Amino acid sequence: MAQTEDRRRVALRLVVLQVSVVVTFAALAISFWYLQVVQHARFQEMAENNHQRTLALRAPRGVLFDRNGKVLVENRLSFNISIVREHTKDLDRTIGLLAAVAGLDPAYVRQVVDRHRSEPTYRPIVIIEDASMSQVAAVTARRLDFELPDVLVQQVPTRQYPTDALAAHVFGYVGEASDAQRSGSIVGQSGIEHVYNNLLQGEDGARQVVVNSVGREIRTEAELPPTEGRRVQLTIDYDLQKAAEDGFRHAGFNGSAVILDPRNGEVLSLVSLPSYDPNDFAAGIDRATWASLNSDALRPLQNRAIQGRYSPGSTFKIVIATAGLEEGIIDDDFRVNCSGGAHFYGRYYRDLSSHGSVDVRHALEKSCNVFFYTVGNMLGVDKIHKWAERLGMTGKTGIDLPNEQESLVPSSEWKMRQFGERWYPGETISVAIGQGQVSVTPASLAMMITTVANGGTKVVPHIVRAVDEGEGWQMAVPPVVADSVAFKPATLAALHDGLWMVVNAFGTGGRARIPGRDVAGKTGTAQVISSEGRARARGSDRDLRDHGFFVFFAPKENPVIAGVIFGEHNEHGYLGAPIAKHVIETYFAKQEGQPLPQLAPIVPPSPAEADPDTAPVEQQAPIATTTPNSHPSTPARGALSNVEGQRPTPNVGG
Amino acid sequence: MFERRLYHHIDFGLLVAITVLCLLGLTQIYSAAGGWTTIVQTQIYAIVIGVAALLVCLSVDYRSLADKSHFIYVAVILLLLYVLFFGAVRGGSRRWIDLGVFNLQPSEFVKAALALVLAKFFGENRRGAVTNIDLAVAAALTAVPLLLVAQQPDLGTAATLIPVAFAVAYVAGMPKRLLGVLALTALLAAPVAWKFGLQDYQRERISTFLDPAQDARGAGYQQIQARITVGSGGVWGKGFTEGTQGQLRFLPVAHNDFIFSVLAEEQGFAGVVVALGLYLFVILRSLEAARLAKDRLGAYLVLGVLASFTFQVIYNITMSAGLAPVKGLTLPLMSYGGSSMIATLAGFGLILNVRMRRFTN
Repeated sequence: MAQTEDRRRVALRLVVLQVSVVVTFAALAISFWYLQVVQHARFQEMAENNHQRTLALRAPRGVLFDRNGKVLVENRLSFNISIVREHTKDLDRTIGLLAAVAGLDPAYVRQVVDRHRSEPTYRPIVIIEDASMSQVAAVTARRLDFELPDVLVQQVPTRQYPTDALAAHVFGYVGEASDAQRSGSIVGQSGIEHVYNNLLQGEDGARQVVVNSVGREIRTEAELPPTEGRRVQLTIDYDLQKAAEDGFRHAGFNGSAVILDPRNGEVLSLVSLPSYDPNDFAAGIDRATWASLNSDALRPLQNRAIQGRYSPGSTFKIVIATAGLEEGIIDDDFRVNCSGGAHFYGRYYRDLSSHGSVDVRHALEKSCNVFFYTVGNMLGVDKIHKWAERLGMTGKTGIDLPNEQESLVPSSEWKMRQFGERWYPGETISVAIGQGQVSVTPASLAMMITTVANGGTKVVPHIVRAVDEGEGWQMAVPPVVADSVAFKPATLAALHDGLWMVVNAFGTGGRARIPGRDVAGKTGTAQVISSEGRARARGSDRDLRDHGFFVFFAPKENPVIAGVIFGEHNEHGYLGAPIAKHVIETYFAKQEGQPLPQLAPIVPPSPAEADPDTAPVEQQAPIATTTPNSHPSTPARGALSNVEGQRPTPNVGG
Repeated sequence: MFERRLYHHIDFGLLVAITVLCLLGLTQIYSAAGGWTTIVQTQIYAIVIGVAALLVCLSVDYRSLADKSHFIYVAVILLLLYVLFFGAVRGGSRRWIDLGVFNLQPSEFVKAALALVLAKFFGENRRGAVTNIDLAVAAALTAVPLLLVAQQPDLGTAATLIPVAFAVAYVAGMPKRLLGVLALTALLAAPVAWKFGLQDYQRERISTFLDPAQDARGAGYQQIQARITVGSGGVWGKGFTEGTQGQLRFLPVAHNDFIFSVLAEEQGFAGVVVALGLYLFVILRSLEAARLAKDRLGAYLVLGVLASFTFQVIYNITMSAGLAPVKGLTLPLMSYGGSSMIATLAGFGLILNVRMRRFTN
């Protein structure tokens, strides 16, 4: 009895166990079904993220050529060393070890990592750009030892610019994209690199690799090779660019040059000095270099050609002459008697000397202030503004470079809008010699002289000549004619004669004279600060010396080259003329297959000579030069003493 | 000793299921360990030795084995003591006896020894009902090896001894009221145990289990990875040796504790259902053997052996899916591990033994 009862109990309890086991297994099966079937997609993705890593393969940027097909900017291969945090267990250990291996400060490495902390962990954080071979070797060795499996060494194309900063402001520079979305990609930050970034940057490729649990690459699963950026041909002529930069270096001052082909607006050379080395940016600029570039009082990052605005001084007299002749206010025979100054609206305005009775040609040649005061007064500010606009001196030139500043030539409407005041005719007098409110970029002066050289055809300066989209060179921008108002033949003759005489007769541009080339030009010297301002600023560190301009074209008939040389604080417009001369000589030598001219290594410091462009606007000017000799002499400029072999000797007053 | 007619009473169905599970495990070990390595070879040797142990345990009448169960029990206890003082240390625990050729893990054999001794104890109890004194003795018999194993420390294996005692006691007639009381006590004692009974790392494991994301790189890592491994397998799996989680070591000890995750990843839900079915078949078939057993001794023995097996299977599979705290418990028959394989097969030798001898006197 007890036996059977016993049996029954055992059997009953076995059934309980049986049922429990079946229920448990059913629960397990349902759990697996939930994980593997219901939530499969989610876990599938997580598993893929676990072991697949997509590495961007940086596309080489498009190669930049000069107008003759010479390579200006290309790419070299460099190594980037990055940390990929995805599978990192101990970030501090990785940072410490990498810093030790690569010879870096761990605090710096941590700083870099912290800056990218919020980014997805699979994205590599570049710690060392353009790593040295010994750093690469050291890290690679450790990687193989499994010590730094989360450190990635990648070969990347890096921009290679010409050494000695040739045309730095044209090229601009590249840098890491600032927005987090595109972090790690390199984009143009300035210059051509910026404007044509979409063409130049190409398309990054990708390599999909399989990594294991410590982040070590096991194999490549798929690879999409990068597409190199488009090849771009610039209008820049390497030799002319070099000639212009050499010219500045030789002359010993900073400034800017914009040299165009007047027939189509192609920029043959664009200089801004002081400059920077775009190579410093190519592989990630270090903080110290960046800080020094930014804090430099000389502002090397500024592209003076399009971002610096200055009073054009006597070069503006070309605008007045054009306006007077075209408006019919004066003609070839119109004469003004210059006795060294004249009264306008109750105020006496000086000239540098008494030029006697001058017509427009001689007024240009001698840069006679009284003549242009008179004509300017007859024109009125609005006609001056109108012709300045026609010649391309207002607003932007439209050059294909970023952040161009607008040039300003005042008008009565402008004054009303800006200050709510009417224009006083007396203000026109200083405008007539390019002072006062006139504030223009060197590029706009280049456009003005180009238009004059063309006889009225305004062309937009541009830098990109052709683009290779994959099917050979395609002219990028057809020569742009912005505005064409053919000057009267008499106007053209008077302007060209006068400007030719500046260089080839008794004018101020004799230093640009080249026998047989018929160079025409005009110098200009502009005050940096008004005379009262100068008095106030005495004792401060600011460089208050005058700026000099030289605008030119050549030859006089059917010009093929035109441009502006701007000398920053070089005090005399005529000091730019030798630079223009060197560029023009180089141009023709190249055209005719002659050996290119070389600048003599030593230039004897030039004695100060009479500069009729130095124009005191107001009579009260305490420092106003009344005679050519009274101009302050220039003892050894800092920049001059840098020229090798240069013996700074004090200038001897005229 | 091994009469020819007994041969006809061997449960070949159970044997086949066990064999298939062993082979399934072997193939997944092959995959997880990265091909034909010493790990696979060792596992094959273990299976061969295990089969030999199974045959030995099958051929000797379980009643005569039960008669000597106290010797076996004492011998295993002595081995555990030996391990505690002279055992080989690996990964911070002292669990193994280094035999030169391989390492013996005596704790694996405790399960069968305990099952034998408890079966004998309750089976020979002629009083009919189980008294509290009986239960106290059984608890003591269980507690001694449990504490020794826990000292190694190997809490996982120690925990598998508890189901052995409970299963045998339950079927032997432990009052249901006592079960309720014990369950209530355990519930009340849990917070106390949490505070005083567990070490920091153990507390961490449990809290991590409840919220794996709080420590995704540390203790929670394995659990998250286990779920990813299983979940990414889908219905049909990624294919043999095509798994990424196991192959690329996102899952630690894939060939060992997480062999079922690897199976789930590579063979998918389909493979999981097959494996679960095989295990369920093995367990139900063994319960059948307990029901058919000629005497209480046989029934208790089967249950004792089966209890630790079932507990381990369920726990390991739950853990494989990332649904239980990670504990160093292997999956019997499939996981890599010599001692576990040998002890498990020996245990099934005992179960087959009971069923085979259901008609003998």
